Amino acid sequence: MLAQPPLSLYVHIPWCVKKCPYCDFNSHEFGARSELPQTDYVAALCRDFDSDYALACEGSSGGRAIHSVFIGGGTPSLFEARAFDDLLQYIAKTQTPGWLHSQELEITLEANPGTLEAGRFAEFRAAGINRLSIGVQSFADAQLKKLGRIHDSTQARRAIESARSAGFDNFNLDLMHGLPEQTLAAAMADIEAALSFEPPHLSWYQLTIEPNTVFFSKPPPLPKESLLTSVQDAGHALLAANGFEQYEVSAYARDSQRQSRHNLNYWQFGDYLGIGAGAHGKLTLADGGLPRRTRKQRQPENYLRAAPAFTAQSSPIPEEDIALEYLLNTLRTRKGFTRDQFEARTGQPYSTIEGRVASLIDRGLLSDSRAAGAAGTTVTTTERGFRFLNTVLEEFV
Amino acid sequence: MTDLSHIRNFSIIAHIDHGKSTLADRFIQHCGGLTQREMAEQILDNLDIERERGITIKAQSVTLYFDSKDGRRYQLNFIDTPGHVDFTYEVSRSLAACEGALLVVDAGQGVEAQSVATCYTAIEQGLEVLPVLNKMDLPQAEPERVKTEIEEIIGIDATDAVCASAKSGLGIEDILEEIVAKVPAPVGDRDAKLQALIIDSWFDNYLGVVSLVRVVAGRLKKGDKIIAKSLGKAHVVDSVGVFTPKRTETQSLAAGEVGFIVAGIKEILGAPVGDTLTLASTPEVEALAGFKRIKPQVYAGLFPVSSDDFEAFRDALSKLTLNDSSLQYEPENSDALGFGFRCGFLGMLHMEIIQERLEREYDLSLITTAPTVVYEVLMSNGDIVLVDSPSRLPPVASIEEMREPIVLANILVPHEHLGSVITLCVQKRGVQRDMQFVGKQVSLSYELPMNEVVLDFFDRLKSVSRGYASLDYQFLRFDKASLVRLDVMINGDRVDALALIVHRDHALGKGRALVEKMKELIPRQLYDVAIQAAIGGQIISRQTVKALRKNVTAKCYGGDITRKKKLLEKQKAGKKRMKQVGNVEVPQEAFLAVLKVDS
Repeated sequence: MLAQPPLSLYVHIPWCVKKCPYCDFNSHEFGARSELPQTDYVAALCRDFDSDYALACEGSSGGRAIHSVFIGGGTPSLFEARAFDDLLQYIAKTQTPGWLHSQELEITLEANPGTLEAGRFAEFRAAGINRLSIGVQSFADAQLKKLGRIHDSTQARRAIESARSAGFDNFNLDLMHGLPEQTLAAAMADIEAALSFEPPHLSWYQLTIEPNTVFFSKPPPLPKESLLTSVQDAGHALLAANGFEQYEVSAYARDSQRQSRHNLNYWQFGDYLGIGAGAHGKLTLADGGLPRRTRKQRQPENYLRAAPAFTAQSSPIPEEDIALEYLLNTLRTRKGFTRDQFEARTGQPYSTIEGRVASLIDRGLLSDSRAAGAAGTTVTTTERGFRFLNTVLEEFV
Repeated sequence: MTDLSHIRNFSIIAHIDHGKSTLADRFIQHCGGLTQREMAEQILDNLDIERERGITIKAQSVTLYFDSKDGRRYQLNFIDTPGHVDFTYEVSRSLAACEGALLVVDAGQGVEAQSVATCYTAIEQGLEVLPVLNKMDLPQAEPERVKTEIEEIIGIDATDAVCASAKSGLGIEDILEEIVAKVPAPVGDRDAKLQALIIDSWFDNYLGVVSLVRVVAGRLKKGDKIIAKSLGKAHVVDSVGVFTPKRTETQSLAAGEVGFIVAGIKEILGAPVGDTLTLASTPEVEALAGFKRIKPQVYAGLFPVSSDDFEAFRDALSKLTLNDSSLQYEPENSDALGFGFRCGFLGMLHMEIIQERLEREYDLSLITTAPTVVYEVLMSNGDIVLVDSPSRLPPVASIEEMREPIVLANILVPHEHLGSVITLCVQKRGVQRDMQFVGKQVSLSYELPMNEVVLDFFDRLKSVSRGYASLDYQFLRFDKASLVRLDVMINGDRVDALALIVHRDHALGKGRALVEKMKELIPRQLYDVAIQAAIGGQIISRQTVKALRKNVTAKCYGGDITRKKKLLEKQKAGKKRMKQVGNVEVPQEAFLAVLKVDS
């Protein structure tokens, strides 16, 4: 029987000033003249939350604690702070008193430089948001232009400084590498620039060309694979030399306390509510059945139209996919997983994957340690396995 | 039962795409064999693959009743013939059941080698050949030129050739009248002892083996106890009839007639094509001439990509042989590919068809090794060994002499491509025997080593002549040749399934080209992959597939899971068509890389 894992909440804000050519997330440009339907959207989010939260708690005695909130997009920082204040206050009513301002609760907001008026930071902070994820991507103006970003490096620097002065001691910088025509030196310069702000957390990820994007149909001139590999190695070394620990494929933190709790919950195959247009959720119900997935209408207009009559809709993850989904997440982390954790989160005996794990260990792509006895066996991805994670995961398809 | 004088048995000789099937459909339509609704297009090509490729593999027949303008009603038995170079024996048996044949030639394209060869067989067997110019509705039709070609290349009078268009219906009735007027009626003593030719046999899931037969003498009735001369085992005839083209029981067939019989025979080998049927009570009746046991000309190893599929593969092969007695197979064990079968085919087309049917109808994923012909090896101790697989070649030290099969290839090609065709033949170690200019075409005869022909000759011939050259070939003899085994090694390990027997003079070039091609075909892996070609202990060529540097998805958050999963599934599906050889994933195409190299 499947135990209920910790529960997080993801909130999606589906609008951007301009869609970036590499982005395959559910984001929609809104015309400069039109006003965002902020009030209606928050109302819809509240209704969405009500029905999904009720589903998540079905059969449990009392409610379920929400351990983290992530407001992503799109560009959530386009909304005013009071929108989030209203939403968070609404959610707080389902949680224990003092939830919203507790130390343990991580509430992240994605913010794009260029959409942020300095004044808003303090208001976001006051609404209970205690972590910012700032989409810097690069500190080189020419690169930012190629990536279709609306901000320049000056705005990026200013955004980081304002965040800090508004009291955000916990923030993340999103930084990309492998950008069109990027050199090794340029990629390192971007990291150096980011490091100069002493960020507690960095998401340093390689630009990937995804289907259904402008870059997919008109590919930019990307660096050669050998250069990409050199950048990866050099960047990793530079970050390590500066005290950053890679705890997931693309996530680095200087202090384990500053790892993203919300993202870690995904990577540990925890539960999450997904509300907002196009949001996905994963819920384990108290009935002990297979974990379920929820998803919402992608088009903001459809989502808003459907809102008054929301009822939670979910479908079980097919049994044969659960182990793969679990590994798809946990093997991305340095810590990997233990045998007990695997069984608790998937409800399947470890023996379903044991043989394949063993053969990947033989191939030097995974490793295991038996320090804590057989039941506590920890399986982790090796350095080599991190390079070829897709090859590792393919074994479990 | 129709009186002998009112029967006409005929075939159609035509090159692929020259319109045989469409013409046959017109005949059926004209004689009212089927209603419009039943007239599914091109009824005679039954298999999907036949329909797609526009070629006939199994012979079919149809009995039609034609009211001639002479006021009489004739029974016309049309016996279809397989239309490819690989099936010459089957063609000769179909022709043996006829007194006449239509030579259908595309009035725009002219005569092609395949038709010429079949036509010669027909003439040798004494058939009356009636030329028909088809596709007369097309603007590029040049009837006069094509008539000249028919006369000069084949040597039959084409003055009266019927101009027709199976597409528009032009000349259909004229052709039928020509058949009645010019094709001789069959002869045969209906009171003599039974003698019937098996034109073709196939397996029907409900009836067992169905044979198409031409009764040469006597009568064949339901309830008769019959034997096939070469086997002698008695069977009782359950049903007798004709195809109109629907299967219609008639109780009996008499000399001169063509129809089917079902006699409770369980295996197609129980009713071999070309064999003679007679009554069990008259075993002394003479066998008809021309019966041959079919021998495969080309061998290749077929292996399931997944070893779990071995049993399914065995079942599929045994089902296919129910209907195809020319397909032979025996288990083969490869170090690289595991358990599979060494299969013998009539030729390359036959091999492709079987492979396609196995993959399509039986959903198997297979690896085919490079096709090879049968070599004759004279051992030092005087023994002669036949070798149908490079990996079974005896040790060099014990070989006195190697002999390769030589074929006589007849090629017809338009003037403008003559040069490139000759170059190709020379490159393939051909020796010219004859060259004649006929109209716009040149008729070339070459002696060629069969292994050069079976590999990629036909494709190359088509490509150097822009599709215009046509080819027919037959086995001549074994010739002494300087042959060596070319081995391919992947990461230092000899891969038995990739070995080839090649001429010594070509070994170096072939080795280089092969290794280069394989480098293109083998995808990058986690390690460097070294591909080498070697003769004996000597490495003659090497290429390296550089290791993949990384293979990891940068971003993965809650909402992405489904997409990431799909990506992995796609990646995995790509690998399903690969075989693990040692540490290396080798795609199916790489095992046939030799077919794709120019040397």
